[in-house]
Amino acid sequence: MEPKKTPLYQKHVENNAHIVDFSGWALPIEYTSILKETKAVRTTCGLFDASHMGEIIIKGVQALDFLQALTPNDISKTKPGQLQYNVFLNEKAGIIDDLMVYNLGGSFLCVVNASNINKVYTHLCRAKLEGKYVKPDNVEIVDESPEISLLSLQGPASSKIISEIFGKDINNIKYMHFVQLNFKNKNIILSRSGYTGEDGFELYCPNGVAVSLWDAILEKGKKYNLCLCGLGSRDVLRIEAGYPLYGHEINDCTNPLEASLNWVVKFKKDFIAKDKLESAQIKRLRMGFVMSDRAIARQGYSVYSNNKIIGEVTSGTFSPNLDKFIGMAYIDKELSKPGAEVTIKIRDKFYKAQTSDFNFIKSRTKKGA
Amino acid sequence: MSILKFSKTHEWAKIDNNTAVIGISDYAQHSLGDIVFIELPKIKDKIKAGSQFGTIESTKAASELFSPLSGEVLEINKDLINNPQWVNESPLEKGWMVKIKIENSNEANSLMDEAVYKDFVVKESH
Repeated sequence: MEPKKTPLYQKHVENNAHIVDFSGWALPIEYTSILKETKAVRTTCGLFDASHMGEIIIKGVQALDFLQALTPNDISKTKPGQLQYNVFLNEKAGIIDDLMVYNLGGSFLCVVNASNINKVYTHLCRAKLEGKYVKPDNVEIVDESPEISLLSLQGPASSKIISEIFGKDINNIKYMHFVQLNFKNKNIILSRSGYTGEDGFELYCPNGVAVSLWDAILEKGKKYNLCLCGLGSRDVLRIEAGYPLYGHEINDCTNPLEASLNWVVKFKKDFIAKDKLESAQIKRLRMGFVMSDRAIARQGYSVYSNNKIIGEVTSGTFSPNLDKFIGMAYIDKELSKPGAEVTIKIRDKFYKAQTSDFNFIKSRTKKGA
Repeated sequence: MSILKFSKTHEWAKIDNNTAVIGISDYAQHSLGDIVFIELPKIKDKIKAGSQFGTIESTKAASELFSPLSGEVLEINKDLINNPQWVNESPLEKGWMVKIKIENSNEANSLMDEAVYKDFVVKESH
C-alpha cells in the first residue's frame, strides 16, 4: 500500500528530506543528519511534522466518566486548558496505547499513536456499545485524525518564535497547558508540551492551514537557527528524555507498573483492570542503561548479569548530547537497581553497560513556569 | 599509481600492487546516515571477497561490511573506532577501514571502475 502523505509532504520533498515509510506514513527520517537535528533541539530549536499522530475526540454528557473508566490516570484532576499523559488499558491491564488527553471543557481530545489509531478507535466504540461504563447515547466518539495536522516546535528558542507569531502572552502558558487560537480564520490548539524533554510547543491545526503555519514558524525561526527535524531525531530525543515509545517499551502485554509508569496509576479511582494491577506480581521493570563500551544495544538484545539473562533491551541509540550510547530495557525486578554493572549481548559479543534511571538529560520543560 | 574499484555492495578498494585499502563509498555513507559505530577485523585476519569483514552502525541501523577482495589484514584504521563520523566526512580518505594483502589479484576484474559505479548508483537509487 502506498504510504499516506501529510499536508506537509511537498515541503519535506522541497527541503531534500530523506523520506521513509513510518507505520504507513511517508515522513522524513532526517533532513541532513539525525545527530545534528538532535543537537539543534537541545541548543536552539527544531520543527517536526507529527501529523501522522491520531486525534480522537470524546464528546457527550458522560465523556469524562467514559475516559475515567478506560484509563488509570485521574482526568477529573485536569481543568479545561490542561493536558495529561495517560494510557488506555485492556482487561488484562496491558497497554492498548499511551496518549495525551486534552481537556477541552466538556469534551476531550485524545492524541494517540499513528500505528494505534484504528485499534484505539475500535476499542472505544466497543466499550461504548457494551454499555458497561456509560449509557451508549451519552458518549460520542469522533476520529478527526484525517483532518488534523500536528506540528511540534521543540527547544529553548521555541517560546521566542511562538510569541513572535502569536503574541507575548504565549509565554504565560505553563507546561502541560494549552490555548485555542485563531490562525488564518481557523481554530488551532497550541500546547506547551512535547516528546523531547525540552521546552516546546505542539500545534494542532486543520490540514488546510498546516503549510501556512509551517512557513510562519520557519520564517520567524530563521534568526534562531531553527532546524527542520525528522522522526530519527525525535526518537533519539525521547530516549534521552527517558520517555517510552509504543511498540518498544510498552505494548498490549506490558502493564503500566512494570513500565515504570506508576505515577499514571491512581488507585483511588475506579478503572478497567484495576484489580489486575492491585494484585499484579511485578517481575520486571523498565529502566535505563548507559553503555560503558561504544556500541548500540538495540531492541530485543539480551541483558546479562553473572552469565545469566536478566533482561531485554527495548530501545537503544547513540546520544549526541551526552556523547554516550544509551537505552532502555526491562530488567528482573530484584536486580533493577540503578548503577548495576551488566553486559549486553550484541552480535555474539558482550559489551559492558550500567543500569540507570531515566534522567539521561536534565529535563528543561517549563514545569513551574 | 593506485587503482580505485567499487563493489555492488558499495565498498571501495584502492589497489596498489599487491595491497588494497578498503572502505565504503560516499553513496553508502550518505544512505546510512550518521555513522556512530564500527567493528573491524583484527590484524592477520583472513577476509574473503563478498564475505562480511566488519559491521557499521548508523543512528538508523546496523549494516554488514562486505570485502571487495580476499586477503590478509595488514592494518586497520584504529582511530576510526573512536571517530566513526570520519566515514561520513571523508569516506574515501580519513574513513578508510582496513588495508589487506591481496590474495587473488583476478578478483579485482569483477569490480567496477569509478565511472561504471557512478552509473550503477544512479540506477540503484531510482
